[in-house]
Amino acid sequence: MEDTFGEEDFLNEDEPVAAHEVLQTLEDAWLNEKFCPDLLPSQDMYVEAMMEQIQQMEDNLTKLKKTDFRVEVHHMELARIRYIITSYLRTRLEKIEQNTAFILEQESTRGPENAYMSEGELNFAREFLALQENHHKQLVLKHVPPPFQDFMSTQQSLVPNLRSHVFLRAKKDVNGVVIEGDRDTRDEEVDLEENSQHIMQYKPIANLVQDGSVQLI
Amino acid sequence: MDPSEVEFIAEKELVSIVPNFTNNEVHLISGDVGPFRAGLPVNVPIWMALNLRQRQKCRIIAPDWLDVEKLEALIEGEKSNRFFTKMPSEHYMVVAQLLLSAVDDDIPRVEEIRMAVKDLWDVRISKLRSSVDTFIKTGGPHARLDYLTTMEINSVRPLLPQALDFIDRLNKVLKKLTTFVFSLY
Amino acid sequence: MFCEKSLKLIKEFDRSQEAMPPFDDDGVRQVFEEMRGLYDQNVAAANDTTADPDGTAISSIAIRHAALERNKRCLMAYVFNRIRKVRNMRWQFGSILPPEIKANLCEPEIQWFNNYSKCLARYMKSIGGQGLNLAQDVKPPKSLYVEVRSLIDYGKFELDNGEVVLLKKHSTHLMSRAQCEPLIIQGILEQISH
Repeated sequence: MEDTFGEEDFLNEDEPVAAHEVLQTLEDAWLNEKFCPDLLPSQDMYVEAMMEQIQQMEDNLTKLKKTDFRVEVHHMELARIRYIITSYLRTRLEKIEQNTAFILEQESTRGPENAYMSEGELNFAREFLALQENHHKQLVLKHVPPPFQDFMSTQQSLVPNLRSHVFLRAKKDVNGVVIEGDRDTRDEEVDLEENSQHIMQYKPIANLVQDGSVQLI
Repeated sequence: MDPSEVEFIAEKELVSIVPNFTNNEVHLISGDVGPFRAGLPVNVPIWMALNLRQRQKCRIIAPDWLDVEKLEALIEGEKSNRFFTKMPSEHYMVVAQLLLSAVDDDIPRVEEIRMAVKDLWDVRISKLRSSVDTFIKTGGPHARLDYLTTMEINSVRPLLPQALDFIDRLNKVLKKLTTFVFSLY
Repeated sequence: MFCEKSLKLIKEFDRSQEAMPPFDDDGVRQVFEEMRGLYDQNVAAANDTTADPDGTAISSIAIRHAALERNKRCLMAYVFNRIRKVRNMRWQFGSILPPEIKANLCEPEIQWFNNYSKCLARYMKSIGGQGLNLAQDVKPPKSLYVEVRSLIDYGKFELDNGEVVLLKKHSTHLMSRAQCEPLIIQGILEQISH
């Protein structure tokens, strides 16, 4: 049974980036964020674009008959996309809550164009740190001898372990990754062939995750 | 990563189905699927295939590697190779589980196939365990893991990365200690 | 020995089987007292101008100082770990605490929970321009329907796909998890497990 419903309405043809590319970027970002010990630059522009896409799709679906088999299929896909987005943002929030002072301090060294946190995350981080400081002052710091009333010194110890080991796949050839030696080995240089998979410390490949040369898996 | 998430990722893979209905292309955000012509095979993501199958709107065609002889050849190949061989699917284990349990009557010799997949998994996992063992003992800073699938990598998480992190921390302490001792003399 | 009480605080919290053990006011107060004692001793020793030929006074000061640091760290850890649990409650239960949990929190912790809820809500509202509830969709969606059995004569029920089914006592149906979950909670349906 032919349906005259215009499916071309689903995609906004004016978008410079195709919807499926936005989705792929978000999926990659989700996995990277999941496996990375540090907070990565936010993909909030892509999140916003995808949320608009989802809203548009949901609006369009209300125009279709409920028994149209496409309705259920689209809803299923939307549920999958919503999961990726919420999981991505939840992972980021957990990291922000764990290492608040460190993350805020790092962020202050970057200009606004290079910010890693979205505006919402930044506001949340500041409020959260204030919450924590106030709470610990009330319950502990107010009641201990003066030289020990400092809050930030304990905060400074909460930093991500950038030397933790991660699994990765090289998305293209990368030569000359230097892995620092330990007590009885020298520095080692490793070449990553396209599509090869490895386990190694995060620190030497941190910049490669950010520029998209490797994907954490 | 939770196994339900590994399954979630695996469900994106395409599988061939034969629909019993006709419909135009569906423009999913992840790409177009279809058009659907009753009786003609078409590729759809597994998550869609499972749903349509359950609603009795299609039949699922097993991927050609989900076959007893092909799997046995893969097992032989895996046994005779020191390293890991390339699998027909990045998610062979999950795909097999999902498709075999959903399509009892569509695929012949289901039980034998199930056993073969499990055997393949067992061979690879036991190879992985001994590699991990050796790797931790030699404590190399890095290892190459080509052709390991997502589920297999996930099976050594968090144990392997954490063990390596721990060794790294110990080495750092020992390095400091050694430097300190040497500085005294 | 010093710091036994502060260590006990943490250990007991760690070992507790309860979802949220009560705040140990007494335990915390005892650590404050120990710290006050140690500190006063150190101030006195530091002001004592008597000679300290073998350095025992200095060592004692150092040991007490270390104990003070350790006590502080333990107290901070105790408060921090408790508040992490409180934080997880927001994600598990929403912005209203179950009364059994609330009964075991001290007043500042209840305040923290309310403030965190507000802070979180502000953030979630700011996401993507329209806002997004991050406490939903916590598990990947399942592709398959759930098989359920009706426990009562409920009557007609419209499924997500428009199909209308008759829920009679003992009748079985396939439903999406999202649709049947509220009915299962209400006792109208039960999931058939295989």
